[in-house]
Amino acid sequence: MNELIYNLAVWLDDTEWSRMLHESYYMYNWVESTHVLTLMVSLGMLFLIDLRMLGLALPDVPASRIAERLNVPMLIGFAVMFITGILLFYAVPVRTSQSLWFRIKMVLLVACAVNAFLFHKRMNESVVTWDIEPRAPSRIRLGAMLSLTFWSIVVVCGRFIAYDWFDCDTSPNTLIDIVSGCVDGQTRF
Amino acid sequence: MNAVMLTSYPRTLTVVAVLLTLLMLAYGGAMDAVYPSLLGVFEWLETTWFGVIGKTWGAAFAFVEAVHLLGLALLGGCVLAGDGRLLGVVLTDVPVQTVVERTHRIFVFGLSICIATGIFMACGVATKIYYLPVYWFKMLALSAGMLFHFQIRRPLLGHDIQNLNPVVVKMVAVASMLVWFMVAATGRWIGFSG
Repeated sequence: MNELIYNLAVWLDDTEWSRMLHESYYMYNWVESTHVLTLMVSLGMLFLIDLRMLGLALPDVPASRIAERLNVPMLIGFAVMFITGILLFYAVPVRTSQSLWFRIKMVLLVACAVNAFLFHKRMNESVVTWDIEPRAPSRIRLGAMLSLTFWSIVVVCGRFIAYDWFDCDTSPNTLIDIVSGCVDGQTRF
Repeated sequence: MNAVMLTSYPRTLTVVAVLLTLLMLAYGGAMDAVYPSLLGVFEWLETTWFGVIGKTWGAAFAFVEAVHLLGLALLGGCVLAGDGRLLGVVLTDVPVQTVVERTHRIFVFGLSICIATGIFMACGVATKIYYLPVYWFKMLALSAGMLFHFQIRRPLLGHDIQNLNPVVVKMVAVASMLVWFMVAATGRWIGFSG
């Protein structure tokens, strides 16, 4: 599996656009800046929704209204982050695919998606009974807490990708090499 | 007309005067005189606990960077929700006063996180950022943002929104979003410089 990912990453790395994106100082920085600054839209809206469920933000506004109205800008933000994230991966595919932090981030993004699905499902089923309460029921609050926690760790992992502490060529720790998916005899980094 | 303006917007005019003074100090030659003496302060910052931890423990610096981004997300969410409401783009069925008032405390919390983590990060790379023009742009933008938010936007929106000129309200919202975007963008660009 890791060899397949490595070969795919090498193939991506060989494409001209990947090289151009990586080597273009301004283009790469614009894409990265857009990825980071869009946090203000996507996570900003998400945090407000989660904090509303916990009773810490806009407690006198119906919860369903906050969730519905802020959902659209939040999703637009996530769409931009998704596109710029793919571009960032495409620019540096070999190193990124073998980054411990990138792999943890991907697992957490799946966890975030599952949590968001369950959160909305539970909310839609029961919101009429607690919509105007300052705090949501415990199950919804748990979903909000998980969302805040997962996304905070996603941001930390995203930031850590830039650092080379556990890169394949620098990390002597076998366990970390395995989790990172380092491939024996790899020639590209 | 001029007398009416002076009595109606004293706070706004004071803020504009302060910002213009800051700009004149920065680009009118006064900064050149002050700038060399500031190097000692930045060198001292690197010797503080924050500076030593930031320089020698990369993981701590990176973690604080991530917390800085989380604070920025919180701040940005409040700015976009509040100003988006003023522009009539989001939360249109919630009273303006409610959105602006309720997001203010979270905005202050997000800003406090950004400032606290920002000070820590600045200590770790003090002698690097001292030489970066973009760092000084960011400090100017941050000063403008804080002055604008606390001295113009908040006092203005403390009045009954219905009595305010809708054009002024929308201009305040656009200016607020632009100034905080400028703060965030110049901050991001510090990472690419030097």
